[in-house]
Amino acid sequence: MERLPRGRHGLSPEYVAQNQRERLIIGLTEVLYEVGYQSTTVSLIGQRAAVSKSDFYKHFESKDDCFYAAYETAIERIREVVIVACAEHGDDEWPPRVRNAITSMIALLASDPPLAGIALVEGLRAGRGVYDRYQAALESFVPYLREGAPSAPDGGEVPAATDEAVIGGIASLLGRRVLAGEVEELDELTPAVLEFALTPYLGTVEARRIVSAG
Amino acid sequence: MIDAIVELCAEQGYEATKIADIVSRAGVARKTLYDNFDGKEDLFLSAFDLYLSEAKTAVAAACDSTGGGWQQRIESGLAGLLRFVGDHPTAARMCLVEATSATRSASLRYEAAIADFVAMLKENAPPDVELPETIEESLVGGVAWILHQWTRSSEPRRIAELLPELSQFVLSPYNGSKNFQTGKRK
Repeated sequence: MERLPRGRHGLSPEYVAQNQRERLIIGLTEVLYEVGYQSTTVSLIGQRAAVSKSDFYKHFESKDDCFYAAYETAIERIREVVIVACAEHGDDEWPPRVRNAITSMIALLASDPPLAGIALVEGLRAGRGVYDRYQAALESFVPYLREGAPSAPDGGEVPAATDEAVIGGIASLLGRRVLAGEVEELDELTPAVLEFALTPYLGTVEARRIVSAG
Repeated sequence: MIDAIVELCAEQGYEATKIADIVSRAGVARKTLYDNFDGKEDLFLSAFDLYLSEAKTAVAAACDSTGGGWQQRIESGLAGLLRFVGDHPTAARMCLVEATSATRSASLRYEAAIADFVAMLKENAPPDVELPETIEESLVGGVAWILHQWTRSSEPRRIAELLPELSQFVLSPYNGSKNFQTGKRK
């Protein structure tokens, strides 16, 4: 995000404040990806965002406070992409809807390594206070998978643990690749992730047919 | 001292746990701790390694306890894992929840442990199925996530009840030939 012009610019104070806040959130997300949570400092965030330390504290109480805001922003961005992808398909089109959501989500993460880092790696690793947020974030994606999902092989309901295990498994796999520095290659995992997500509901044969129909 | 750090981490987290708390809980002198461990992180990692190794032994023994094929071996290994977690809720919490965030070394140790379970699942999975290379990693990650949630819940000892659901989840990719019925869920 561009910094604002110096001197008289006729921008409202509210606009300037909002712009600063957004720059700080982006600054933290980028610095975090480069140096990790422990080494991320208020000074580094301020430098990256071109916001003074005293202005930083007008927006956030602490590094943690800024982190929480950045984390929520990251999850919100991912959720928006999933919602848009889901909306392109009707309620009775579960497999293409899941395919579209997973493909779009992974494409977003691969195109924005700092976003992938904060959402998938730091959410679990930045400490105790974030853990609840990570759990809530993962749980918030469960309904998009569960909605309209087909029944289990025996005709009964697919157990609730399945939806959560699928979401947790995807987050774990992608997070491990981000940790290994392979974030830009996440796209290559899309068919494997999709097959993993569809199989508990459709069986291997049907899941593979949908994946290869791409 | 191992018991002390496990309990304290479960109660208040790694960060808030001080050497003074550990020696007081364990009823040992500070010197005794430093005679045996380099410090808090070393003690934490030792506790992690101890429980991980016990968990892996329990799972391997459970796999071997059945005379059945791959399906029975995986199911039995999963049952062994759930039993172990249910029997050691505080240690499981430390290994699953605290280890990811305690320190950089702990987080790497956690990822290595996931890789160990991935290797165990690959060893027991049927060889003749053309599944994605990452399928075991995804399945282990999914099971680990369910265990995460349960160790943080108020009644972690009921975890064994999840066995049928998790078995179905883990076995589904390997049941390739089964033709799943399609239909709507309510």
